[in-house]
Amino acid sequence: MAQVKLDIFRFDEAVDAVPHRDVVTVDVPETTTVLDALETAKADVDGSISFRRSCRSAICGSCSMNINGVTGLACKTPCNTVMDDVGTIKIDPMPNFQPMKDLVVHMDPFWDKYARLKPYLQPADADSAHERERRVSPDDMRKLVDVANCIMCATCYALCPVVSVDPAFAGPAAIAYAYRFIEDVRDDKRKERLAQINEDYLWLCAHCYACSYCPKHVDPNDRIIDVKRATVKDRVMMNERGPRHALVVSKTIKQTGMLAETEVIQGTIGRFNVRGLLKVAPLGLRMAAKGKMPPPFLRPIPKVDEVRTIFDALEVPVS
Amino acid sequence: MAATLLPEDLPLDAHKRTHSAETKRYGFFPGCVAKESCKELFNSTMLLADRLGIELIELTAASCCGASVVNDVNRDVARVLNARTYAQAEALGLDDVITICSTCTGHMRAANKELLESEERMDHANAILSKFGAKYQGNVTVRHLLWLLIDDIGLDNLRSMVVRPLNGLRVAPFYGCHIIRPESVNGWESARNPHSLEDLVEAIGGEPVDYAGKTRCCGFHIQLEKDNTAANMVGQNMRMAKDRGAEAVITPCPLCHLALDGYQADSAARWGRTDLPTFHLPQLVAFALGVAPEKLGLNKHLIDPRTILVERELIA
Repeated sequence: MAQVKLDIFRFDEAVDAVPHRDVVTVDVPETTTVLDALETAKADVDGSISFRRSCRSAICGSCSMNINGVTGLACKTPCNTVMDDVGTIKIDPMPNFQPMKDLVVHMDPFWDKYARLKPYLQPADADSAHERERRVSPDDMRKLVDVANCIMCATCYALCPVVSVDPAFAGPAAIAYAYRFIEDVRDDKRKERLAQINEDYLWLCAHCYACSYCPKHVDPNDRIIDVKRATVKDRVMMNERGPRHALVVSKTIKQTGMLAETEVIQGTIGRFNVRGLLKVAPLGLRMAAKGKMPPPFLRPIPKVDEVRTIFDALEVPVS
Repeated sequence: MAATLLPEDLPLDAHKRTHSAETKRYGFFPGCVAKESCKELFNSTMLLADRLGIELIELTAASCCGASVVNDVNRDVARVLNARTYAQAEALGLDDVITICSTCTGHMRAANKELLESEERMDHANAILSKFGAKYQGNVTVRHLLWLLIDDIGLDNLRSMVVRPLNGLRVAPFYGCHIIRPESVNGWESARNPHSLEDLVEAIGGEPVDYAGKTRCCGFHIQLEKDNTAANMVGQNMRMAKDRGAEAVITPCPLCHLALDGYQADSAARWGRTDLPTFHLPQLVAFALGVAPEKLGLNKHLIDPRTILVERELIA
């Protein structure tokens, strides 16, 4: 048995102006999960401690919270992996959400972003009374199996640094779920779905891999890249900065072997987008004043033909 | 008129230059940014290598690692481009490849992992490489200079080489995502609680500053997509560092450097002025090891790091 000191964020939006903290000590086996320690605290010490939970087995996705600064499922986190030398575990609600009561947060922005995706199958014959099941080959289904494991616990959304400063971003979970329908051969709204997720700032993903901590190994980081590739493949919204950026990077590597910074900046913003170029001009001028400008043109690397051979063999798009 | 002389490097005893009798040779992959807008990173890396007594041999015909961006247009191209680079390293007998950019580290390691874990993918890459007579045997390892400093040189050894200790300068580490995440690709240290940069700062006489932003994203990859969002990511992290008493930042990644150095001014409206000078990893280590500061390109930074060095009486 171990003495676990749960240092809990306490707040009730109905009565409290500011949050405070309570330390609740419980005696539990040290391999007990943080969720079970919280349950013990609620049952034996303070019945008013509020948190969401249901299955206790990493299936329902209710109990994601911030445990010693790390967001994850309380039911999947044994106390002895997180408590400090004196047995303290600091517990806070998920970041990137408005707290409601103690560890319970307002999930609405997260669900709203799901709802915008129309997260249900939209087959071509949706209105007819189809006689048979819609069959999917094992290969087609394999692409969807991992992402279908998403339990919507919002851990990835809480970890996302882009969401934390820009609530317009759809966030990792919604994009991964968009992928689940975009790549479903039974679905008939691929183009519409791609356009929708592009409008919800697909390309605002900062490639940071914070969402690689998915407790169900959905790995939204990889699914986001899949959706971007589908966007480029289907030529959806190709005049936006995201696809233009990816393609001009690809183009400069094929031409020079290097990522040519100057051309990438111009190509992404648009060579004739005077307003856009003026917006980056102050930073450019400050850098130029320090002698920190990338060269306007790059000399190709030695044997750049080999790089071009690779691009051609793989039919890599460059425009 | 006499030419202005550069201040001399501080002397370093010959026997302290390296802990091994023979000069160690490494393949060196500088990456695009160190050859373009962050040339000061390339130069200070070479100066540091000289101090350490190691030889970094640049893979001059290597291509871009894919920069995490080409994945957005094609699933295979980054893997095959990096296989070509590895084939070149092997042909030169330089299987130990060193990078100086977090993004290069992460994406080159990811490509290598994909190649080494699947015969099918290796064969696919080599089938393309064979069109120009190259072949990757699978012997390359990719590491960041930070890892080399700690694993090959060693912190104790490094400590003994310091001739210009940082005098307790409070330095906040900023890791950059791709040197730590995903853990399945990097895994050299804990991605959630890394401490290599802290150890390094301590070894060269600085005082590391702990703050939650150290493993968060600098927003570099979305600067051109939505500059205001990217600037806010910089501001948020630098505010945390500043509030913990940081006087400067150290980063192993030139992309992070461009973001932190360039965008703090633009984030001031929301996060207040932070103005933390940001050092490239090899700049600060080379400085502590006695390389003349004038050679390190500190004048190329938008937030001039010389101000704090003068204030702390580390340079005149």
